[in-house]
Amino acid sequence: MKTIISSALALALTGSAAVAQDTLPQASSQWFKDGQAAIQAVLDRQPNTNRAKNVILLIADGNGVGTNYATRLFDGQQKGMMGEENVLPYETPEFYSALVKTYNINAQTPDSAPTAGSMNTGVKQRFNLINLGENAIHEDCSTVEGNELALFSELMTDAGKSVGVVSTARITHATPAAVYAKTANRNWEDSVPEGCTAQKDIATQLIDALDAGTIDFAMGGGGRYFLPKDKEMGGLKGRREDNVDLVERATGLGAQFATDTAGFNQLKLDGSTPVLALFNDSHMEYEADRADDDEPSLADMTKAAIEYLSKNENGYYLEIEAGRVDHANHDGNAARVMRDGVAFVEAVALADELTNDEDTLIIVTADHEHAIAFNGYCGRGSDILGLCYDVAKKGIKHSDELLLADDGKPYTVIGYLNGTGSVLKKEEGANDYTGSRPELDQETATDLDYVQQALIPKSSETHSGEDVAIYAKGPWAHLVDGTIEQNVIFHIMNHAANAQ
Amino acid sequence: MDRRQLVAGLGLAPLARLLFPLPAAASDKPLKLRTLYNKDRSFSDLAKSLEGSRISVDGYMAPPLKADSRFFVLTKIPMSVCPFCETEAEWPRDILAIYTKRTVEVVAFNRKIVTSGVLELGTFKDPDTGFVSRVRLVDAVHERP
Repeated sequence: MKTIISSALALALTGSAAVAQDTLPQASSQWFKDGQAAIQAVLDRQPNTNRAKNVILLIADGNGVGTNYATRLFDGQQKGMMGEENVLPYETPEFYSALVKTYNINAQTPDSAPTAGSMNTGVKQRFNLINLGENAIHEDCSTVEGNELALFSELMTDAGKSVGVVSTARITHATPAAVYAKTANRNWEDSVPEGCTAQKDIATQLIDALDAGTIDFAMGGGGRYFLPKDKEMGGLKGRREDNVDLVERATGLGAQFATDTAGFNQLKLDGSTPVLALFNDSHMEYEADRADDDEPSLADMTKAAIEYLSKNENGYYLEIEAGRVDHANHDGNAARVMRDGVAFVEAVALADELTNDEDTLIIVTADHEHAIAFNGYCGRGSDILGLCYDVAKKGIKHSDELLLADDGKPYTVIGYLNGTGSVLKKEEGANDYTGSRPELDQETATDLDYVQQALIPKSSETHSGEDVAIYAKGPWAHLVDGTIEQNVIFHIMNHAANAQ
Repeated sequence: MDRRQLVAGLGLAPLARLLFPLPAAASDKPLKLRTLYNKDRSFSDLAKSLEGSRISVDGYMAPPLKADSRFFVLTKIPMSVCPFCETEAEWPRDILAIYTKRTVEVVAFNRKIVTSGVLELGTFKDPDTGFVSRVRLVDAVHERP
């Protein structure tokens, strides 16, 4: 009886609320209508419980909630909007979303090795290690044996799928390495310490994976770790002290090899032979500095990877990393962060366009955030890379008045908590760090090479432990919900790929 | 009335650069280091046109290779070594080698400076340091703006 009364009461309340809403003074506002449409879009969602034939994991390194926010505004402003209203392709109701806790087993502030490792194995890992269990110790080769974890790439290979890895960083760098490597030190990219026999260097592990068939398509930077010391090839110059020619080994296995855009354009993407493309000795160029005829864009590489991998009728696993969002953040150079961020956005949009929601799970996320922060109170449309302008009393757009700090100087919207942009500097012979904020104008602040002001002096800006977001679309994307541990991402991908 | 207004007032604006030669960038501002290069790392037309001229470039002084030197490297953003993105220090590709008129007065690596000197293009290996540069400013002086 009590239940019946409650239900009746609820009905009555709902009914009266509906009547009242028709007459709300704000009902004719576009904001109100858009709010209703947003709810409807969520109500219209139908969980997709198909088995995922394909899984694409797109990671922008260092693109936490804050960095992604800045890219949203930058992208919008580049398109003539004020910026705040912009919606990135993965921010639509078509994508489910959640927050991700990124800490490592022994680190509040994570690094990119164990974070990517957690997404590729289903368990959190220790700082600076990749794909080794919780008992392995950093730089201790003797702890490798017995601690190797199984990788999503290996599971997918066992399921008959193809595997690809693409990055604008060195292909041996932490995030791409997590697809195929197991190492006690993320920096063992081209060598391991003398006497270490339990594992090989990361570059060798990639070619081993090509040989084993657990990697079919690898594209990124880092060519120097695949060639003997001083050997030059296609603009690359080797740095391997053991003088092993891994490129020769790869081509000996039948792999196609490319080092520039011309070679990239000639690759046969029919899936018949492995692909290895290394476009730079170290990381690929920042998007702001990249020449189209020198290196392909992240979107170009994404397109090629999908075209190649989709030839496998059993499907594929593809990890794509925008590796240099992180590097520009480390430099405190937001202008390059934003441009690599937009390149990532374009790669996501293309991956979505080239695949079918019915059979392809797309996950968009980051591995960690940075010590990036945002000043206030800026008016609408303040250039995200520029100075903070005051809120206008009339209209929408910011006023022409610059906001000034208590030192009488203007300040940028974006700042960093630490890094080379520190206002505290130590001059030659000085005993301490001292300083005040430099004068600043809009032209200086929006220059491509501008380094945002920071507080704590450090030679490189740091990551932060703040959450990142995850967005997902396709089979079992609705499992992306709430606030999750980073290793849960593996379980979502694995569930989707194995669903009955 | 300043000099520019006077010139404009006399209807001589088009001749202003001839009458009062401005610094190389045709403005009062120092050049950006990146403008000396094209994206493919070749020298820009601007760099070629300024070869042999005295120009001013803004940037940062990478920590000098040795004390009491007359040489340093100018970088477009502060030169840093990132423990989580690099295993070792790497010189950015677009740098400017600076050969100074006097012993280098070292400035914090993250303090913006303006360096003026004569632009030289072409590969040069420093016999003292072994440092190979593709573009240099020689007879250079630097100041904090």
